[in-house]
Amino acid sequence: MKASVDDERCRGHGICELACPEVFTLTDDGYAEAREGELPAGTEAGVKTAAGSCPERAITVT
Amino acid sequence: MKGAVPAVTDDKTDFEAVDFFRDESVVADPYPYFDALRARCPVQRESHHDVVMVTGYDEAVRIYNDTEAFSACNAVSGPFPGFPVPLEGDDVSGLIEAHRDELPMSDQLPTLDPPVHTDHRALLMRLITPKRLKENEESMWRLADGLLDDFLEGQNGGVAVSGEFVSGFAGPFTFLVIADLLGVPEGDRAEIAALLRHGPADGGGIGSTGEDTLDRNPLGHLYERVARYIEDRRRAPREDVLTGLATATFPDGRLPEAADVVRVAANLFAAGQETTVRLLGSALKLIAEQPRLQAELREHRDRVPLFVEEVLRTESPVKGDFRLTRVPVTVGGVGLPAGTTVMLLNSAANRDPRQFDDPAAFDPARPGVRRHIAFGRGPHTCPGAPLARAEARVAIERLLDRTTDIRLSEDHHGPAGARRFHYVPTFMLRGLTRLFLQFTLAPPQEAA
Repeated sequence: MKASVDDERCRGHGICELACPEVFTLTDDGYAEAREGELPAGTEAGVKTAAGSCPERAITVT
Repeated sequence: MKGAVPAVTDDKTDFEAVDFFRDESVVADPYPYFDALRARCPVQRESHHDVVMVTGYDEAVRIYNDTEAFSACNAVSGPFPGFPVPLEGDDVSGLIEAHRDELPMSDQLPTLDPPVHTDHRALLMRLITPKRLKENEESMWRLADGLLDDFLEGQNGGVAVSGEFVSGFAGPFTFLVIADLLGVPEGDRAEIAALLRHGPADGGGIGSTGEDTLDRNPLGHLYERVARYIEDRRRAPREDVLTGLATATFPDGRLPEAADVVRVAANLFAAGQETTVRLLGSALKLIAEQPRLQAELREHRDRVPLFVEEVLRTESPVKGDFRLTRVPVTVGGVGLPAGTTVMLLNSAANRDPRQFDDPAAFDPARPGVRRHIAFGRGPHTCPGAPLARAEARVAIERLLDRTTDIRLSEDHHGPAGARRFHYVPTFMLRGLTRLFLQFTLAPPQEAA
């Protein structure tokens, strides 16, 4: 599983980071970034919560 | 029964005597009332207006995320004036669709439900892109400095000056920032400011604790002015932000009616200005009241963002907004029938001890300070959150840059231990009406 954040959509609410800090972090610019590559085991539920809670629908999970 | 309200404790009879929507005592300090409600039940019906008050964090987040069972049609009006027809039956969705246009602010983003909300919000987000926000943030420093030149009466190093912060800086600053964001030409800004002043601020605005209910469209004047921009730029496009606004499309590529663009633009002023003014007031009150905190922020500017988050948590500028249940639903073990008016109290959820240790303590270093829901949650999460965060940071940093000390005016607010503050008399917003400050100015060479 992989996750990505659309940086045209993200507005830095930070809800993804709260839901799944292993995968999402807010950068110094105040916008979210997803961990690159295949996601570590055990983060699936958190990533899905993060994607579902994003007010801007900026997170894609593949 | 204004004024004659018993002190609130966690005793059931006391909180039941309080009318949150009308009593002045809860305007001055709503938190003991919220604590008493939450201690009774985080999802508790109040007895004066038949509103279910949600003071729990998890319960509020759950409702914010559930747009199937909860409609936002009453988001800004709640029980005033209430739904125009009796809400009977186990699914009131049909009644909501039939009558939502009769509710206050029914064409504004906060009251829209999916799928219309999804499209209109996407339109707004095309207006406030990260690129536009970055340009806007760069303007903020200049706008803040321009206002501070007047507000601090020049830069006479070492001289103490005083001023009323809410009307002298916070109001004009937040207005100019949004005018800049939208690309309103400088020559027109005074006119727009006047339209806003003669709008909702004069009467029973949103969430007034007075007797009047909200006009169906308190933004009429502003709509007309913004409509002229949109029509003008569609007719004769220029290289400016208003042209971008006028030509922005829905996600499926359709060009919106000019009226739809006007509504989302006007919403930025309506929802984005007053709220940020309150945030700035609360932030500066704390800075002025707590010299150690002020010294820490002067020393460590990188701590300003988390300071702002903790102000948002402890003095949430929007105390809450409303939802209406479409169908019977259970929240936190409490069954709510269809047609129930629910108030999601952000500022109560942000002091839920199950979520925040020692919730009344102001501690910007607390773990997970950004978990607060001052900007709401779910699909209606404040689209202007990044704007508000940037405005607060820029304003605070510039005020710290240009002063060596900021303190309360004791002439206006009284001595330590007997301070006097007045808060805006609404059940929706939390913030000072006036904040009188005294400043020791930084010597000119220290001013950035």
